[in-house]
Amino acid sequence: MSETPKKEFVPDKPIVSRKFWMALWFTCAMSVLLELTVHRHKHFDGVDSAFASATNWFGFYVALGFLACSGAILLAKGLGLLLKVREDYYNDTP
Amino acid sequence: MTLLNGIPPGFILILGAIVLLLLPATARKAGAIGLAALGFLAISQLEDGSRLFPTLLGFKLTLLRVDPTSKAFGYIFTLCAFAAFIFSWHEKSRTENTAALVYIGSALGVVFAGDMITWYVCWELMAIASTFLILARKTERSLKAAQRYILVHLAGGLILLTGILLTVHETGSIAFNQFPKGEIGSWFILLGILINAAAVPFSSWLPDAYPESTIMGGVILSAYTTKTAVYTLIRGFPGWEILVPIGCVMTLYGIIYALLENDMRRILAYSIINQVGFMVCGVGIGTNLAIAGVVAHAFCHIIYKALLWMSAGAVLYRTGKSKCTELGGLYKTMPITMVLGTIGALAISGVPFTSGFVSKTIIVATAEQNNYLWAWLVLEIASAGVFLHAGIKFPYFVFFNVDRGLRPKEAPKPMIIGMGLLAFLCIYLGCHPAPLYNILPYKTNLESTTFSAIYVDHFAHVVTMFQLLTFSALAFFVFLPWLKRTPTISIDFDWFYRKGAKLFYSAMDRSLNGLNGAANKYVIKTFLPALARFALIAPATLTAIVLKPVWRALDPDEDSLAKRHDNLVAKFTTGTLPIAYSAVCVLILLTLLILIGNATR
Repeated sequence: MSETPKKEFVPDKPIVSRKFWMALWFTCAMSVLLELTVHRHKHFDGVDSAFASATNWFGFYVALGFLACSGAILLAKGLGLLLKVREDYYNDTP
Repeated sequence: MTLLNGIPPGFILILGAIVLLLLPATARKAGAIGLAALGFLAISQLEDGSRLFPTLLGFKLTLLRVDPTSKAFGYIFTLCAFAAFIFSWHEKSRTENTAALVYIGSALGVVFAGDMITWYVCWELMAIASTFLILARKTERSLKAAQRYILVHLAGGLILLTGILLTVHETGSIAFNQFPKGEIGSWFILLGILINAAAVPFSSWLPDAYPESTIMGGVILSAYTTKTAVYTLIRGFPGWEILVPIGCVMTLYGIIYALLENDMRRILAYSIINQVGFMVCGVGIGTNLAIAGVVAHAFCHIIYKALLWMSAGAVLYRTGKSKCTELGGLYKTMPITMVLGTIGALAISGVPFTSGFVSKTIIVATAEQNNYLWAWLVLEIASAGVFLHAGIKFPYFVFFNVDRGLRPKEAPKPMIIGMGLLAFLCIYLGCHPAPLYNILPYKTNLESTTFSAIYVDHFAHVVTMFQLLTFSALAFFVFLPWLKRTPTISIDFDWFYRKGAKLFYSAMDRSLNGLNGAANKYVIKTFLPALARFALIAPATLTAIVLKPVWRALDPDEDSLAKRHDNLVAKFTTGTLPIAYSAVCVLILLTLLILIGNATR
């Protein structure tokens, strides 16, 4: 899925193109629409918690994918302030 | 073929390595490929059961224990070796060829060992042989990295040995089976294995050492040490619940560090930790299906991870660069490497129709079936995160992103053949996993083994995976400016003493010295002088209060009153009071004391 959009990539530009964005949004929209056509099996049937039942909501994986990745990027960005150092930090030649 | 039935496959590779040492380069390289193929063949001929029981120091060893688990690991170890030796046709060095064969041979030795002594000897041999794959890069950095690497593994080996000795002492047996729960020896063994599995916080050796190895070294190293550790966990510690949180932490740690990293091979090194985390978690869940899933995932992981290391190796071979800040736009001149590398990237992300999808799903599903709600959530988050760092970030920053004017030639043919073989397996097993599922332990627990069962009957799962991945991709491109690479490295757990200790020092410096300063300012400089002044003035003031009515009666003139008061203060502060005043004061004091004493009696 990420291969197809990559062909739309405009060379020599560091940013992704408009066509690429359209393809990406289209793929995302398709994935959401596809869920309407299927019947997901129930997760955590025996577990009595609000979160366990939330895993069965429509679009749970949509939210999970986006939020988890955004969260990971933000967390990495934040931790980077603490953890990132120059390449010669350990007195090695880079 | 009964000839091969009784030979431990590891011996074939190790003895072969010694013979090949004497041969010229081409024969040596061809020989290594042949030995890997022979090893694969030998494993396919092995019948289940234990044999070869030589005696050492009064202990009966078991050099060959064959069952579906050991065979599955044996197959993938030799298969990966076969592809890796084809890929490394460019490599003429004697050291690397020999070290790689001994390393792979001893890894096979661990896998087929039925007793703890054989296991331990092969385990240490692996550590020593693999060090040469790092040393062979022959740079100052690789020399230092190799020193650190061997120190970590020797320490880990000693911890393992301690555990083995304690366990043998306790049980009287050297059998390498499930270890008793709650015994101190078992905990030492577990710790020794977890160091090799690169479990957090013993993980920093892996991203430190592997990226400093040679091109061939990186491909070979990525497969064996951590996966033999997973194998020994399956043998010794299935169902130890502590492994579930350990595995979950590994998956998340790998993602965060891979996101921070600039060096492409170090990104892949962190993603090994992430992937091994899935396996460790699966061993912790420990049901038959979970163990089958772990073996399947180790099998597929070795294939796509070696493929990723190969594509990174090909880029390093052609450009001499491995930092994202120096790479980019390589799809123009290395399109085949780009396509094959991207297949590996998609497979590691568990994209449907690739091998990662048919193996990782089993582990995640067992977490769900056994109601490990939080572990399941972490594994799903980690699945999304894998796509982020290994699935998109690695190919994007290496092959796309900015064109930096690099125009290297396409990778040499042997490299393409090696990568092509593994890329084919990634897709073949993704679409047709039956050959993989058939060699797994507890395979009867697997319900869906055909293409239609996986992709048609469970289409809902394909859709949810598709959603998870597309929206992960969306997050990647939305936050792309934030992911801009910087020429930096990231501190691992040494943060605590390198940066944390500094922060602690400065915090202590500020708080304790601040306290000191405040004490100096308010107590020493303000309060004590005030107290001294009070002690000096108070008696004079008190006496003045008593004497004032007397003075006023004697002479109501204000000037003379002030004069008498100043006079009194001066006498008190210089300690030159006339005897009469003192006598009056003592008299007053004594009277007061008597009065108070009487009143309170």
